Amino acid sequence: MLDSLLSAQLLFAAAVLGSIYALVGLGLNLVYGTMRLLNIAHGDILMIGAFSAYWWFTLTGLSPLIALPLVAAIGAGLGLALYFGLFRRQLAQGLPPAAIEARSLLLFFGVSVVLQNVVAFFFSSTPRAYRHLDEVVRIGDLAMTGNRIAALVVAVTLLAGMLVFLNRSLFGIEIRALIQHREAARVVGINVDRVQMVAIALGFAAAAIAGALLSMTEQTSPFMGFRFTIAAFVVIILGGLGNIRGGIIAGMLLAVIEIYAVTIFSAEARSILIYGAFVAALLIRPQGLIGFGKRG
Amino acid sequence: MRNTLSILGVTLAFGLALYFGGIAAGPYWQLVALNLAMWIALTQSWSLFSGLTGYVSLGHVVAYGLGAYTMVILFREWPVWVLIPLGGAVAGLFALIVALPVLRVRGPYFVILTFGLAELVKFVLLAVETALGQSSRLMFGAPGAQTLLAWMVALAALATLLRHFVGVSVFGRGLIAIREDETAAETIGIPISRYKALAFALSAVIPGMVGAVMALRSTYFEVLQVFSPTISFTIVTMAIIGGAGDARGPVLGALFLVALSEILRGVSPQLYLIFLGISLIGFVLFAPNGLTGLLRRKSS
Repeated sequence: MLDSLLSAQLLFAAAVLGSIYALVGLGLNLVYGTMRLLNIAHGDILMIGAFSAYWWFTLTGLSPLIALPLVAAIGAGLGLALYFGLFRRQLAQGLPPAAIEARSLLLFFGVSVVLQNVVAFFFSSTPRAYRHLDEVVRIGDLAMTGNRIAALVVAVTLLAGMLVFLNRSLFGIEIRALIQHREAARVVGINVDRVQMVAIALGFAAAAIAGALLSMTEQTSPFMGFRFTIAAFVVIILGGLGNIRGGIIAGMLLAVIEIYAVTIFSAEARSILIYGAFVAALLIRPQGLIGFGKRG
Repeated sequence: MRNTLSILGVTLAFGLALYFGGIAAGPYWQLVALNLAMWIALTQSWSLFSGLTGYVSLGHVVAYGLGAYTMVILFREWPVWVLIPLGGAVAGLFALIVALPVLRVRGPYFVILTFGLAELVKFVLLAVETALGQSSRLMFGAPGAQTLLAWMVALAALATLLRHFVGVSVFGRGLIAIREDETAAETIGIPISRYKALAFALSAVIPGMVGAVMALRSTYFEVLQVFSPTISFTIVTMAIIGGAGDARGPVLGALFLVALSEILRGVSPQLYLIFLGISLIGFVLFAPNGLTGLLRRKSS
């Protein structure tokens, strides 16, 4: 039993899922951190990314990996459309963060219902899957499918790239400044509107890419997003607001817990565990996500 | 006093109209009347807690589901008129138990917490049912449609009156004070924890009874369907569209969405939900006080 639990197989599975969670969490972190928008439609952006990759592969027969820039552009476009359509004016009004959070929650809830049902209306809610890069690569005891390796490599590369971008580039530092202190960021001359635009575009693009990667290994359906919205919230609650490195660790941790729960107990344990972790995280940090961010 | 009499009169008249109108107009309208009464009962109960305290609950389906579950597992043991109140009691008790830890969480985090908690309860019960070998349960010999409509209209009237009378009571003013400024409310001596917990439990009782009646209506129980988050979402959307200011809001919101549902569901259930989402976005952006807010603006 212990042998199988310490196997490279499970750790590999956890690494793949964890890197996806980290990517989804990163997107939510950017959107919530810079604008205090509680995006409960975040998982639905992932779903849009997954559907885009599915249709790309089905219609062109080409690898979804080639289409990643296109998927990212769809995600970013959606983010910008929502920013200009729903949130830009509200954010400019200078409402207190609590009011923005409450209103954005309701708005994103509406967006979530619309996105899920528009996709279900046009493409039906039947789960879809496709086979791509599913040949098995063996290294010792470890058997990996090509699509999982590809997902892991792409996700890790993107996470590393984002870390460098946020820590080293001037624009990344501006984003982090906005996450840490909105007013101070404005005072030192940061163009808040432009930073917000980039943050929402990047955050949505990250979620859409995560969806495209996921579509290679899991079934795609209009209602797949919920699970990832919740996972993303767990990641930023545990990892800390605006703390990208903390978020990556939290994403990995969540994936390890989930993969082991499924292995030791059953597939149903997965949902119980994710929601259990979510409820526990909120109960332990009742003041919300901000407390962590100030510390981290 | 005159106000009290008029609200009693209006509720009674509306309830009787709904019941007899529903029966007289044939089976289709009877079903619409049942749906309308159900949503009014649920949204009024939600408004009793969330409208007054400002703690937006996205987990009210749990109360509904627990009531339905109580009904379905004890249906063969006890009579229906015991089980409907029992469903309410189970839901209220559950709310009371979780109130203490859950109500420490404020603002938007409370919203996503209640949603997460509802999903957690759903998946735990699903695991329990799977372990018991029950993928779904059927009920035979449930009361007829007219009896159920009578129950549901009575629950809708009860929920409306409860929402109104709590709203104008000392207790209700305490809850509103909590909504406006929780720290200030505590400072002037309002027992905030007790008030919030009591309101939370009270707002779960009628949804529990509604769930029990709806289990009789569908005679079929499946965890994923009965504990569907769509029910919680619909309640919140109705309350936002109607406006949470007073007892009229939930009625208007329920009327609006039930009408939308009857027009569009026949075409496609997805289309109904798309319009539900768009209506919610529209009201939040352009009429944050809902239909009652629009009415008030017009009359003043």
